[in-house]
Amino acid sequence: MTEKTNSTSTASAETSRTRLRAGFIRRDLYGVAAIVIVAAAGYVLFPDNLALLTRIIAIALLVLSLDLVTGYCGVATLGQAALFGSGAYAAGILSAHYGINDPLLMTLGGVFAGAVAGLVCGIVMLRAHGLPQLVLSIALVYLFHEFANKASSWTGGSDGLSGIVLDPLFGLYEFDLFGHTAYFFGVVLLLIVFALLRIVVRSPFGMLCRGIKEDPVRIRALGASPHKALIKIYIISGAVAGTGGALSAISTQVVALDALSFTQSAEALVMLVLGGTGSLFGALVGTVIFMLFEDFVSAANPFHWLTMVGALLIAVVLFAPKGIFGTVQDLLSARRNRTGETRP
Amino acid sequence: MKKAAIAALAVMAMCGTASADVIKVGVVGPFSGPFALQGKNFKAGIDAYIALHGNKIGDDTVEIVYRDIPTADPAQSKALGQELIVKEKVQYLAGFYFTPDAMAVTPILKQGNVPMVIMNAATSAIMKTSPLVVRTSFTTWQTSTPIAKVASDAGVKKIISVVSDYGPGVDAENAFKKAFEEAGGQIVEAIRMPLSTNDFSPIMQRIKDSGAEGVFAFLPSGPTTLGFVKAFNDNGLKAAGTKFYAPGDLTQESDLPALGDAALGIQTTFHYAVSHDSPENKAFVEAATKAIGNEAELSFPSVGAFDGMHVIYKMIEATGGEQDAQKAVDAVKGLAWTSPRGPVSIDPESRHITQNIYLREVAKGSDGKYVNKEVQTFEKQGDPGLAAAK
Amino acid sequence: MQTVFSIAVDALAYGMVLFVISIGLSVTMGLMRVVNLAHGGFAMIGGYIASYVARDLALGYGLALIAAVVFTILIAIPIERLLYRRIYGQPELTQVLMTIGITFCIIGIANFVMGPTLKTIPLAPSLQGSADLGFRTIPVHRLFAIACGLAVALGLWYAIEKTNFGIKLRASVDNAAMAAALGVRTEIVYAVSFAAAVGLAAFGGVVGSEFLPVEPYYALRYMVTFLVVVSVGGAGSIPGALAACLLLGAIDTTGRYLMPEFGEFFFYLAVIAIICVFPRGLAGRAK
Repeated sequence: MTEKTNSTSTASAETSRTRLRAGFIRRDLYGVAAIVIVAAAGYVLFPDNLALLTRIIAIALLVLSLDLVTGYCGVATLGQAALFGSGAYAAGILSAHYGINDPLLMTLGGVFAGAVAGLVCGIVMLRAHGLPQLVLSIALVYLFHEFANKASSWTGGSDGLSGIVLDPLFGLYEFDLFGHTAYFFGVVLLLIVFALLRIVVRSPFGMLCRGIKEDPVRIRALGASPHKALIKIYIISGAVAGTGGALSAISTQVVALDALSFTQSAEALVMLVLGGTGSLFGALVGTVIFMLFEDFVSAANPFHWLTMVGALLIAVVLFAPKGIFGTVQDLLSARRNRTGETRP
Repeated sequence: MKKAAIAALAVMAMCGTASADVIKVGVVGPFSGPFALQGKNFKAGIDAYIALHGNKIGDDTVEIVYRDIPTADPAQSKALGQELIVKEKVQYLAGFYFTPDAMAVTPILKQGNVPMVIMNAATSAIMKTSPLVVRTSFTTWQTSTPIAKVASDAGVKKIISVVSDYGPGVDAENAFKKAFEEAGGQIVEAIRMPLSTNDFSPIMQRIKDSGAEGVFAFLPSGPTTLGFVKAFNDNGLKAAGTKFYAPGDLTQESDLPALGDAALGIQTTFHYAVSHDSPENKAFVEAATKAIGNEAELSFPSVGAFDGMHVIYKMIEATGGEQDAQKAVDAVKGLAWTSPRGPVSIDPESRHITQNIYLREVAKGSDGKYVNKEVQTFEKQGDPGLAAAK
Repeated sequence: MQTVFSIAVDALAYGMVLFVISIGLSVTMGLMRVVNLAHGGFAMIGGYIASYVARDLALGYGLALIAAVVFTILIAIPIERLLYRRIYGQPELTQVLMTIGITFCIIGIANFVMGPTLKTIPLAPSLQGSADLGFRTIPVHRLFAIACGLAVALGLWYAIEKTNFGIKLRASVDNAAMAAALGVRTEIVYAVSFAAAVGLAAFGGVVGSEFLPVEPYYALRYMVTFLVVVSVGGAGSIPGALAACLLLGAIDTTGRYLMPEFGEFFFYLAVIAIICVFPRGLAGRAK
């Protein structure tokens, strides 16, 4: 899209830029509306299953954060759960050890811890590229995992951190068995994060990140520092993942080592690729489809459902190579092109 | 099929809305993934109980709803527990292989008015998190304490403790250490090794260098025990006469064929051996084998599940099928019965199972199969872990 | 001093086993540029076949080893034709998705067909027991594993660097279109390399089964280990992989001896340190 804008003459560039911006804002509103509609539909369709939906939102935040570094900046990582888990443990420890039971403060704690973990991981991760980078991320997530296992007086080790107590949200809404409060809290968090991320990825900074993915040498030649930008995006990504972790800690009131595990990281990556990388909607679509599918087949046959999930992944690669959202988007735009309604 | 349907309809019509309810029991366990074998054993124990006692209690029918949780994942456990209570409307929750999974669900029991019967998760502290929890398995403290007495009775004074570095491993180390030092022995060294250890040769070298007369080991049942036991033999420790003590997780029956001769002579203490000689166990093994399909896959979680079902049936009887969690739990406090593993009872205070712990030795049976042969009984063992945690 | 020797021997044996199991992955990732996360799955299939042949059919260890390699390749051929062919040259993440999917399927099927228990492969009588090295004893099987590792390393190095096929393979990898234009049938080259990689996986699965026992979750349980070893070595390099295996084997073994409770820290910190010093792996080439 940017290339097209560049190629038009300067006179029309101004108008097309305003049109572009209007288009973006319109799409943002569509996005927010879509999330609200899906969230409401989930609430109406699965009123008895809000814990699952809340879990999906927490994981969706993790996948969004992964999309920032992998989809937008091309950093391959199988260790994103390190950031998610840091947020979860921070929120949990605030409540279990310091008696800070306000969900908002706990979330802030998670955001902060996630950002710090993002900074640490970012500094290490940017030392290599490609496959070695992937292995760095694996080593990092195992180190985080092992650290939490060792610090069992703080984290509860492999037995999990329990004893998280929650004050009512705003002093009004209890976190109860049915999970209404946790669900609405999660939906609002997701909306806020989504809106902020849309602004980030569209900003000049976001464009810079995309540029780094395409051609870091040219970015350096333009006078920008890819390294600095990537560290920044890692901190943002950590904050997002930390929000997800905090939400998970708040909604389940237990944090265990799996929040920091390689498995969790790998699953998040699978969800992202399933939905389509490099688009916030792709991340959301991938998470929702993967988790609902997994929930459905594992309830239908708790013993042999893994094969079905495997088959789904293979089918997506074969029939929707750009991920589900990416492929659907391609199909739609191809159709639009055929009908002649081209967009700027 | 059609006839059955008509019959069912007829039965329903006759009973009307009187009191013939379907009572749902939600079972959460690792039915796929790395611990699928243990989940399979849950199901075998449950199926065996239903095969032997029917699925009717009075007019009520018991229905089991299974939910899979492949590894310790409390967030998912909580979601599943909530779904089972709110959506499936189960009256009882059962299963739970891992401690954090159980811990995640205990906070919602009271509000959901649902008791939980733990069929495996072996950390003492779970019982304190809710008064609605009953456990029919064991704790690592419970099974690791008696082996210390065995060791000191055999005249062993110096022991090196080697455990996997995670919750249950640390529990085992502490339990053994406490009991062994009380008996006058000495722990010369305590090693914790990462769960992911594949090559145990360096550990064996450490054991050799420590100068201990015996080793106490805890590893979770499954693939790593194989490497550990083989390394123990391959590095000449067995030949050198080093004694090998462990709780029974290390020699669970389904791992024995793989361990083979390497395991012969290992002494373990545990609450259940498939070879236990009693009419109750014979009936159980027969029914459970039928349910699991292959006798070689039968292991200890099955008996926890079997007795868990017994407790749930007693709860349903006591409440007449009404949903009343507190009444159900109160009804089984002090309940005593003869389980396939021997005489057991539910301790009224801790709601944990009081049972015999057996000293067993791995031996080759006359048919060439390897068994845990019971050689000594420690009667009516409670859970020492709860007191130690205070 | 004796202890040092002893650790060195253990490290060598462990490193060689790692090498035998992971080298097939180095071939697929480095030479064919496919991130094949299903590598462990094929090693596991090999292990199951060997276990069936050696234990249930009692046909002996040697035959089991051969059968494992042959039948695993036979199983892999249709998978290559139908699935892998679609991901050659695709972005890495797509390959990850596909091969994880394949791994899930293999695990599910293995669990269903073979059951969840551990399977062992009875060793040949000549491989059982221990050998005396003077300062300590070592299981004969470990010596066998070391020998296998050396043989595989030499054989592969020769095949890739010295044979006609090796030249074609390297040409196809560097520039498939150009190689095809010069008359190299790249499809066949890829199929043969894939078969070789799978065969190596099966071979490693059998030889390494004393360390990594065969069970359905094998395919995922050790995936990280394989991936780390191959990447630290620099994918596609035989000497690199060998060096990485010996180095990581030594670090792992020493760490577990000196301070087992921090074994995991030790290992992964070392991995990070190595990659920070060699950002492309020990023997990685610039792209």
